[in-house]
This record gives sequence, C-alpha cells and structure tokens, in this order.
Amino acid sequence: MASHAHDDHEPTTTGPKVLATSTVSPKVRTIAVVRPSEQETSYLAATKAGLGITLRHFAKNLFGRRRTVDQLNKGEHPVPTTAFQKALSVVSPINEIETIQYPEEKAVYPERFRGLHRLMQRDDGQVRCVACMCCPTVCPAHCITIIPEQTDDNGIEKRPAVFEIDELRCVVCGLCVEACPCDAIRMDSGTHAKPVEERADAVMTKDKLIAVSKDNGKNPTSIATQGGVGPNWREGR
Amino acid sequence: MSTDPQPPAPPTTVTLTIDGKSATVPKGTNVLEAAKTVGVEISAFCYHPGLSIAACCRQCLVAVEKNPKLQPSCQQIVGDGMVVHTTDAQSTAARKQMLEFTLVNHPIDCPICDKAGECTLQKHYFEHDNAASRIDTPKVEKPKVVDLGPHIVLDAERCILCTRCIRVCDEVAGQHQLEMKQRGDHEEITTAPGQKLDNPYSLNTVDVCPVGALTSKDFRFTMRAWELDATPSVCQGCATGCNVELHHKNDRVWRLVPRHNPAVNGHWMCDEGRFTYHDLREQRLAVATVGGLPASWDKAVKAAADKLATPLKDAGSVAVVLSAQASNEDNYALAKLAAAWKAKLFVTARPDRGDRADGKLRVADVNPNRAGVAAIAADAGDLAALEAGVNTGALRAVVFLGHDLPVSETALRRLRELDCVVALATHERGPVKAAGIALPIAAWTETHGSVTNADGRIQRMHAAVAAPGQAVPGWEAVARLAQATSAKVAWTTARDVWKDMTAAVKPWAGTPWGREVRPLALRFAGSRG
Repeated sequence: MASHAHDDHEPTTTGPKVLATSTVSPKVRTIAVVRPSEQETSYLAATKAGLGITLRHFAKNLFGRRRTVDQLNKGEHPVPTTAFQKALSVVSPINEIETIQYPEEKAVYPERFRGLHRLMQRDDGQVRCVACMCCPTVCPAHCITIIPEQTDDNGIEKRPAVFEIDELRCVVCGLCVEACPCDAIRMDSGTHAKPVEERADAVMTKDKLIAVSKDNGKNPTSIATQGGVGPNWREGR
Repeated sequence: MSTDPQPPAPPTTVTLTIDGKSATVPKGTNVLEAAKTVGVEISAFCYHPGLSIAACCRQCLVAVEKNPKLQPSCQQIVGDGMVVHTTDAQSTAARKQMLEFTLVNHPIDCPICDKAGECTLQKHYFEHDNAASRIDTPKVEKPKVVDLGPHIVLDAERCILCTRCIRVCDEVAGQHQLEMKQRGDHEEITTAPGQKLDNPYSLNTVDVCPVGALTSKDFRFTMRAWELDATPSVCQGCATGCNVELHHKNDRVWRLVPRHNPAVNGHWMCDEGRFTYHDLREQRLAVATVGGLPASWDKAVKAAADKLATPLKDAGSVAVVLSAQASNEDNYALAKLAAAWKAKLFVTARPDRGDRADGKLRVADVNPNRAGVAAIAADAGDLAALEAGVNTGALRAVVFLGHDLPVSETALRRLRELDCVVALATHERGPVKAAGIALPIAAWTETHGSVTNADGRIQRMHAAVAAPGQAVPGWEAVARLAQATSAKVAWTTARDVWKDMTAAVKPWAGTPWGREVRPLALRFAGSRG
C-alpha cells in the first residue's frame, strides 16, 4: 500500500531553541534568537562576490564577442576568435554581448509579432471594414471608435465614416483581429505604434490606418472573399 | 321550455402534459403559450402573441401523442389530457430541418445586419443547429435596400417569409399594404399594388420582423443592438401612455420600442411616438438664464425671488401654471409651492389634434399627463382664465412649467411686458425665450417620475440618461425656488415627492412607488424577437 510522504511525517526536532513555554497557551513560546555573526554582518564576502560578477561583465564587455544586429536578425552567433572569447564560450556557448544600438540598428520583429494596426482595402480601394462593431465590442481597452454610415454600394451597404484606434489605450491583445469577420483589421504591420508628443497624435484615424500598409511595404488587399463568393460578388446586378 | 337544471358550467381551464410537466392553462390557449407557462420554450418565427396565427414557418412543430403527424404548436389548441413532446427525436429533428430550410437562401450577412444580436434566426440557430451549411448551390438573389415607405427599408434576401409584417399592417394598422409575390424560393415580401408601407403603426413591422429584413431608416446603422441598454418608460406622445423601452447608450436615447402591457398598448405603439426621442436633443435649455443671459442657479433663483417679492405680498396677483406635458411629481411640487405662496393655479396643455384619433392607440389629446394634472389641481383655472388675468393686468407675475403656452398673441405680448415671468422648462422655445428668468429642468428620460394616462392609470418613468448641463429634476427646481422665497417646500428624492403626493391627492392614496429599475444590457437579454 502506497503511503504519502506526509503520512509518516515526524514532528521536527530542529528549529530555534525554546527557552520557556506559556502555561496558558502551549503554542506561545519564548525562543532564543540566533543573531548573525560579526563576520556575516561585515558583508565582506558578499561584496567580494559582487565585485567578481561586475569584473566578469567588465571583461566580457571589453574583450567579448559582440553579436551584430544582422547576426541577430539572421539567427547567427559570432565566432570566438581571441583566447579570452574561446574561454568564455566554454562557460556558455551564447556568452556574448547582445546590445543593439537602437534606433540606428533595429531588430526585426518575429513574423507573428502583434504591432501597429492596419486597415485592409478591397480591390477597388474601399476599406474592407463594414462597421459591424465586433472589434469595439470585444476590445478590452475600449480603444476603438467606429461611427457607421450607409453607402450606395448595393452589396455592402455599411461602412465606417469614422474608424479610430487610440494606440495609447490599446493593450495589443489582438482580439480585434480575431473578432473581425471581414479580415479588415490586422496587426501584422511589423512595426509598433510611433512615439508621440501629444496624446491626440496617438489616435490613428481611418486614413492613417489605411496608410500603414503602404508605409510598411505590406499588401493592403486580402485574399479572403467578402460577402460570400469573391470580391465582386454583386457584379452585374 | 325545459325545467331541467342547468348543466354544470364547462371547465374554463385545461390540464395537459408537456415534456412530462403538467400545465394548467385557460381553455383555448395554444400549445406554444401553454409550454411557456411550464418553462418550455418552443422556437417559432411566424407566431406572435399579438397577431393572428399563420402557422407558416413550421418552426414550432411538436409531437402530440395519438396524433400521427407533428403539429405546429402555435396553432394546436390545448385539449384536456393532451400529452405533448418537444424534446423527442422526431420533433427535434423536424425543427432542426425546418431551420436548415429557412437558412438555405438567407445571406447570413450578420456583420452588416442591424438585427444581429436581437435576431430570432440567430437565436434559434444557436439553440438548434449550430452546424455549418450543407448547401453548396448559389443562393437565390433578391432585391436589397428596397424603399418600402417613409420609414422602412426592406432587404428581401434576409426575409424568411413569416408574414408577421403583413399581419401587423392588416391587424394593427388595419391597412393592407404588404403582400407576398412569386412562389417557392423566389417568394418575397412587397408592397400591395398602388400602396406604400406608410401607416401610423408601420414601425411595428420592424419590431416583429424576426430577422433583419425590415429595418427602420431612423435607427438603421446607428447602433448595434448589443451596445444598447434598455430602461422602461412611458411614451410622452399622447394621453394613451404606451409603455416603452428606452434604448440608450452614451447618455443618449437611440430608439423607443413598445413594451408589452395588455392593459394599455398591447405589443404596439405608433410611429409618431417612436420619434419623440429626437426632441430630447433639440433646443434644450441647459443653463439657467436671467434676462436672456446665462446665470448660475443661485443667481437665477435669487433673481426670481427678488422679482417675486413684491407680487407675492398680494397673493392673487401671482399665477402658477402647471403643465399637462410634465410629470405628476413636477406638477405636484409646483402646485404645493403655489399653495405655500397662496398663488392662483392654472393649467396649460397642448391643443387637441383631432386628426390623430383613430380608435386604436392614437388619441386626439397629445398631453401625456392631463389626467394627472387634473387630479393634482382639480380647481385650477384654464388657459382662457390665465389669458383674461394677464390681459386685465390682474396677474403681475407668472411662474410656468414647460414651454407650451398656447395663448393669443395679445396675451403673449402682455406676458412679455410683465416684470416677473419665471419659466421651469426643458426646452428653450416659445414663451421660455421671452421669460425673464428660465430655470432648466430634466426631461422625461432623465429623471424618475410618473404620468397619468387618459384612463387614470399612473405609470412610472425611469431615469435613463443624464440631463444636459445644469438641468435638475423639475421638483428640485421648485424646491430651490421655494427655498429662495422662504416657502416651506422641500424634497430630496423623486420618491419623497411621490410619498407626499400620494398622501395629498385622494384618488392616489396608497399607490406604491414600485421598484427601482436599472438599465438592462440588451447584449445579454437575448433576442427580443
């Protein structure tokens, strides 16, 4: 029969030395407090260890290998050349300096990085969004504002007159992309929201969101069909 | 003549079994309604409790024991000892298949459909089928964005041909304006020859439409149903007092829909009543004014008290005008202040519109609270008396509620010449502009209150949105005015006014205030169908 470790657990005999026990409540005890020794309170040993770490980083930063941004983006590592670098690589195969000189150098974000939103366009250049309000509904940060309007387009009668995202409020969760039934909003621009000097500048309007594709070399159209059977599903009606 | 004793009266209730539960319902009830009483919801599209039975959607098929075929539960009248099954394999499969037929040509454009979120088809789909479409043939294309009339747009593709809208026109409005044309999968709703969908009750067709086929031009593409909150209230369009739901969001009312009350309006309301909410955002008085210039409440109330000081010494020279457009609470508060001042009471109301009366819901009296004011101030003078008093100069100060003072031009001119005219108004219109002092008060959607309809029924309104600017509830404006004139009239809540009022107005003695109602998010309320 299996027995659990705590089943045959014996009361511990270690612990602080009990000097006296209360007669009223046996759980209340007077114990002997163990104070650190004078050697320990001087912190000399700890200071020495800390200095060692600092010196190691100092040596690594002076003589170690540096991984360039190109190597970083390609997923490569620099080859150790000097004796010191070879010795360091024995300690750890990736013991190298990863400092990137941002903004002169920029690391490429991974393919599935969720970044700045962009609005997709139909083949005729119209915005794909049909103002269904799914994204502002699902948005946990309430950062999307849409005001719908009616269009003369017989197939898709509704479009956003105003489509704004407050990038300062956005928590970059990607739920808007998940919720969109039209593949109208994406976060695959490969960049992040720009720094701004005024809060109002962080509000991306419809035009700005459409321009994100062009600015970042992305295709603004989608291969997803809209409204059922192909991009021109109401043609000739 | 037979002298036999009368046979015993036939039982007025019938007991039947639905899904193993025993239901006792009045004779003549249909199975669908009987099932509701024991918590069994049977899906349906064409059935509406306020309309005749069409039994054309076949979505409510149930199995009735000893009956070889499935029966539409909306049409099947209950019988004693009847045993109904709604969860058996046969009827469940039948309803699922009917739903699949309904969806064959439905465009499923929920993202741009205004009904999404309150759509009966969506609701039944989630409950019944929830499976991908098996249809790979092209859908039948039908006209979209069809202008049926002044208020309504039709999307024929979304229509599931339940004929509810046809029956609303025929039975509620009494005008045959909608029809079916073609047959089979080309069947569609259209206007009757030479007709438009244009009647005083036309927007009820949008409410009953189980899908997004009929949409209101007024509400279309403004808000999604799930974004709105619903607060119960009472329509202020006329003396009928139709029960409504205010659908509001962002401190703004976006639409009014009827709320079921069999004693007042049934399931319906008129189009004119639905549009009354537009007026809540136009020409509102949002700040107190003195001499036409904005002023703080303190300053405005003090100015009013200063001007009233001299006329109040001669009580008969001050006129206090109640309004049949305002709530019971506001009117009662002002009447009590008038009594404290010993001023003369008058009542103003909008003139009747005889063309409105149709023997259905619409009546000629366009004042929501004429009966209420009559109960509060039975011996108040009418507008003719007010006019006479102003013209002869007997009245030197006028305090009036609302912005409706339909008196003659001469009387209006004389009114403007008076030194002391105080208006307690929601809107900056007509006599309010001419008043020396105007105090902003909350409109009917912005405060708790009650109105009394033509039948003497007192109905509660609930605050749904914030009042604009510095506007306060009418009774509170009265209390502030009372304090400035050292009259002992004060309340802290609308309920206080109600308690005071029901104690003072004999016919209303003991009427309960009722429970407070919080806005209900439509997002979780399911389909209104």
